[in-house]
Amino acid sequence: MLEGVLISISSDIIPNLVNPKAHASAQMMRSIIQGIRQVLPVYDQYLAEEHNEMMEVLRRVADTIDGSTGSAADRIRERATTLGAGDEVPIPLEREVVMAAHRELGFSLQATMIDLDELQREGNADADEALDVVRGHFGPRLVRDVQTFLVGDALLGRG
Amino acid sequence: METQLRELLAQYFPEAERIEVTGFEPIPGGYSRETYRFDAHVRTAAGKVEHPLILRKDPPASVSILQTSRAIEHDLIEALRLHTNIPIGRSLGHEPDPERFGEPAMVIQRMHGNSRTSDLFHDGPDTHQADDVMRHLCEVLVELHTTDISTLDPHGRLADPRGEGVDASSWDAYIDTTIDYYVRAFPTINYDPSVSEILDLFLTLRRTKPRALPLVLVHGDFNPANFLYEAGKVTALIDWENARIGDPREDLGWMTTMDILSNSKVMDHPLDEGGFLAYYNKLTGLEVTQDEVDYFTLFGTANIAVPVQAAIKRRVDGESTEFMLLYLAQSAGGTVPNLLRLLNYPGVPQ
Repeated sequence: MLEGVLISISSDIIPNLVNPKAHASAQMMRSIIQGIRQVLPVYDQYLAEEHNEMMEVLRRVADTIDGSTGSAADRIRERATTLGAGDEVPIPLEREVVMAAHRELGFSLQATMIDLDELQREGNADADEALDVVRGHFGPRLVRDVQTFLVGDALLGRG
Repeated sequence: METQLRELLAQYFPEAERIEVTGFEPIPGGYSRETYRFDAHVRTAAGKVEHPLILRKDPPASVSILQTSRAIEHDLIEALRLHTNIPIGRSLGHEPDPERFGEPAMVIQRMHGNSRTSDLFHDGPDTHQADDVMRHLCEVLVELHTTDISTLDPHGRLADPRGEGVDASSWDAYIDTTIDYYVRAFPTINYDPSVSEILDLFLTLRRTKPRALPLVLVHGDFNPANFLYEAGKVTALIDWENARIGDPREDLGWMTTMDILSNSKVMDHPLDEGGFLAYYNKLTGLEVTQDEVDYFTLFGTANIAVPVQAAIKRRVDGESTEFMLLYLAQSAGGTVPNLLRLLNYPGVPQ
């Protein structure tokens, strides 16, 4: 989607801009969107890694000033024992790995639908119930996707 | 393009001494054809006449969503105009040679009336006209559905306009071969498991056929954006590119779907007749049930899902860079919750 926006900015919008500020803004939009594309695949992983590293930093700083006195040193040690303590957050799997596995399972559910349809057409009532198991997964998930991704009340250009 | 247009218009107005084209501009909206409005000022020996017209052009094949024939559409429009009282503009002709405009095109009369049908709903300026307009719209649809097919399609070209092996020799053959086409086409739209509900849709349609009704000529894209209105009447029913022989309930089902996507309330009117379906049944005696409309809502969704999702898949696969196809991937999602409800998916809010 973001790649498509970039292409459209380049091919549909920029060639038709005459206002220099608009032209510059469109160029900046391209830059920001490209940056977002580069950040998205690694953002969650970096967050988790940095979170855990920062916990360690708090602890190591406290260790390094061990023996120091005073309220500032006390505050450093207090952070090490609160924010620097406790459970680390799990590092997410690489996004590409998760996406590939997710996609493979999705296609397997399609194959299951086709097999269930064959059973249903033979009059297998258990297959009707089994299809509801598949639908019970896809239904809420697809509704959530639509609620998350859809913008506006109606198709643009439909009068 | 305007020069080419003047040359084409000279064929349609052979008596013209001079033709001038003014106000040539694209009409925004619509997802399957490129349309332009213009006025043709035709001077003959008898004087000068202004013709409000539309140039309707196919998009390039790489971005085309629905590939149908402008020649067949032209013939249908003229048959409707000459043999029915359905409000429809004249089709002056079609240009099959892509050399002229880049793709096949047709020139049709531009009809008067308000195309912003959203004005009829939700506190719009024409809500007081909604009942009368929808009453007339229903009457127009009934006339379409009750006109002898052979009058409108004497050469049988609307039985299988997409060339997908649809057999309209009987209702059962029509439904069975159409659904076969949908199922066969699924690999061409299957760009992601998130379209699994479309597979389920096709398979469910095949397992749950309703009672048969006589086949009729259906508009095929009967929706709130495809009619104009004025003073409580429909002034034109437009966009006949998806017309075909089909089940009359398809037009009712598609309007139901598009009411949701367009945020309109066509099917709620006329209020004094109990709504569009009730009035349709009153006029036809077909006693179409809401369950049947629901089936054909699904059937119509499938009918448009195949070309639309195939176009999206071509975009996802990189065969084109047309941005509109990505927008369709987002916006078509608005139909999914209703589709899931009609398929009785558990866990989907009613």
